[in-house]
Amino acid sequence: MLLRRCTQGLCLISLLLISCALILDDMAVLLAGSTLIMGIFGQYLIFDHRLREIVASVEIQRSLSRNPVRKGTMLQVASTITFRGSIRMHVQIADLLPSHTILIDGVSSVTTSPDPSSQTHQCSYRIIPVIHGTQQFSGISVTIRNLFFEDTIRLTRESDRKPVLSVQPSGLFTVPASELSDGTRDSRKTSVWKGADIHSLREYTAGDDLRHADWKISAKYDRIFIRKYSGLMSHPPLIIVDLPWNGVPYPEKEFYRMIPDVTGMVRHTLQTYQYVSVLIISGPNILHLIREEKNISRCIAELGEWMHPAERLVHFYRMPDRSDLRSNVRDIEHALRQTTDTRTLACYEILRDRYLGILQYQRVPAFSGQVERTLSQLLITEAYLFSLGCGDSSHIRHVVRQLQFQKIRVHIRIMDAALSGTSAIRDHPADIREVRS
Amino acid sequence: MNYLLPEYLFFIALAAGVTGITLLSGSPAGYLNFMLLLLLSGILAITRTWHDRGFYLVCSGEPLVVACSIMNLWAGLFTVCMLAGIIGGALGLLESRQDLGHFAFFCGSSALIALLIQVSNHVLLPLLILGSSAAFILAIQSVRTYQFQKHYTGA
Repeated sequence: MLLRRCTQGLCLISLLLISCALILDDMAVLLAGSTLIMGIFGQYLIFDHRLREIVASVEIQRSLSRNPVRKGTMLQVASTITFRGSIRMHVQIADLLPSHTILIDGVSSVTTSPDPSSQTHQCSYRIIPVIHGTQQFSGISVTIRNLFFEDTIRLTRESDRKPVLSVQPSGLFTVPASELSDGTRDSRKTSVWKGADIHSLREYTAGDDLRHADWKISAKYDRIFIRKYSGLMSHPPLIIVDLPWNGVPYPEKEFYRMIPDVTGMVRHTLQTYQYVSVLIISGPNILHLIREEKNISRCIAELGEWMHPAERLVHFYRMPDRSDLRSNVRDIEHALRQTTDTRTLACYEILRDRYLGILQYQRVPAFSGQVERTLSQLLITEAYLFSLGCGDSSHIRHVVRQLQFQKIRVHIRIMDAALSGTSAIRDHPADIREVRS
Repeated sequence: MNYLLPEYLFFIALAAGVTGITLLSGSPAGYLNFMLLLLLSGILAITRTWHDRGFYLVCSGEPLVVACSIMNLWAGLFTVCMLAGIIGGALGLLESRQDLGHFAFFCGSSALIALLIQVSNHVLLPLLILGSSAAFILAIQSVRTYQFQKHYTGA
């Protein structure tokens, strides 16, 4: 327990008075000193009693955005703190983070004014665990003060340390090397991944790894300087939104479900990768590209401007992809070699001639070239395509083909009317045979 | 309605009491009581917006307590009680019924101390009794604090 400045002064005066009383053998001074001591003592007992009442009433409920969590990834913690205050008692309650975690942002403590009623406060913050394993929260720190005294108690009961945070090593979550693309961009955010670039230099403090010392700079200034490396970051996925044509009726319900899905993914991508790229198409027409946008409000505003059924200047009229046509010809030729039935042979030959005839006159559409040029501007390893899947969806195949040419993994999300009322999204593998034609 | 704040009520009572006692006793050093009363009233007026107002009031009030106690121990007790009321009122410690109970308890305990001092011939004996009582209460309090911390912190 700490004596506040006023109380320290009062104690000094009372000791002075009692010392004088003892030296002078004066009863009057003794009365003054002893009553002052008694007053301070009484205030101490009142403070102690109220402190116990407050501490006994403190409860905390924490909720984690996800658990288990990968080492080095951000985690949102929301804490609800309930307690009964007391008159003239200022209470400050701090949620103590698990050891080996870094507080990124948010507030992990609440400060209240004197109020004898029951109070509920909420605080929310984000942390990054830096060491894997199971970790408990360290408890709660309750600081109580009044005019005369101040005390801090650290509550570390089992109920104050829940829940147990399970931090998985990064290796369990690491994507295959082919998909990682080595993370060629630097990130200044705190990360357990260490990049090659030096972010900044700072003076050595106890516990720093001496292998990161910059000896040239250290020799120059006669102090040890430590290099701080920038973290590494993978490329964010490209979000492709296929808008319906406003010339024909479209499933409005599914479209209005698609909008929050797209914005949700944009927000998530921005939070995770710091920027996002969104390609907005309508059939084989490229309408707009939001390229590496870092401002979430600007990105959402642009989405709000574009996310509505659009006019299609070009139509494919279910035009098949040339690669698919060639594949179909190969399949038919293989079937021709296997079949002996004359009627079947005739049918296959007609089909092959039709496909070859289409191949002869059908050129590579301009849309494919536009998609290729658009993709060449971006550094991506993954793409999400949102579509209603209604009407002519042959352009989806052309987009997927271009993405696959560039070794970009594609996830197609069709807002399925047949599944309304359940999950709105159905993930399709990037094979056109499984995308509705 | 503009009510008089409790510290001023206590101060008026203190001023009246000290004036009466000083005049009745006819002490040659009575003027000192008035001067100290004046000092207390000045501090009470000046420190209205200051932090640690209690400390300044104690500093200015304790000389008056000593001066009155020299004249008469029971007059000193009266001054102690009124000074406690002034400080309590100034710091907002006399707002509830429970606070008034604490104030009454303080006055009663002060009376016991005054009685103890009255019956003693020297400072040492009452000081030993008061010191041992305080040490006893502190020892009990330490045990309670240990148990409390053990329960809540697992220490």
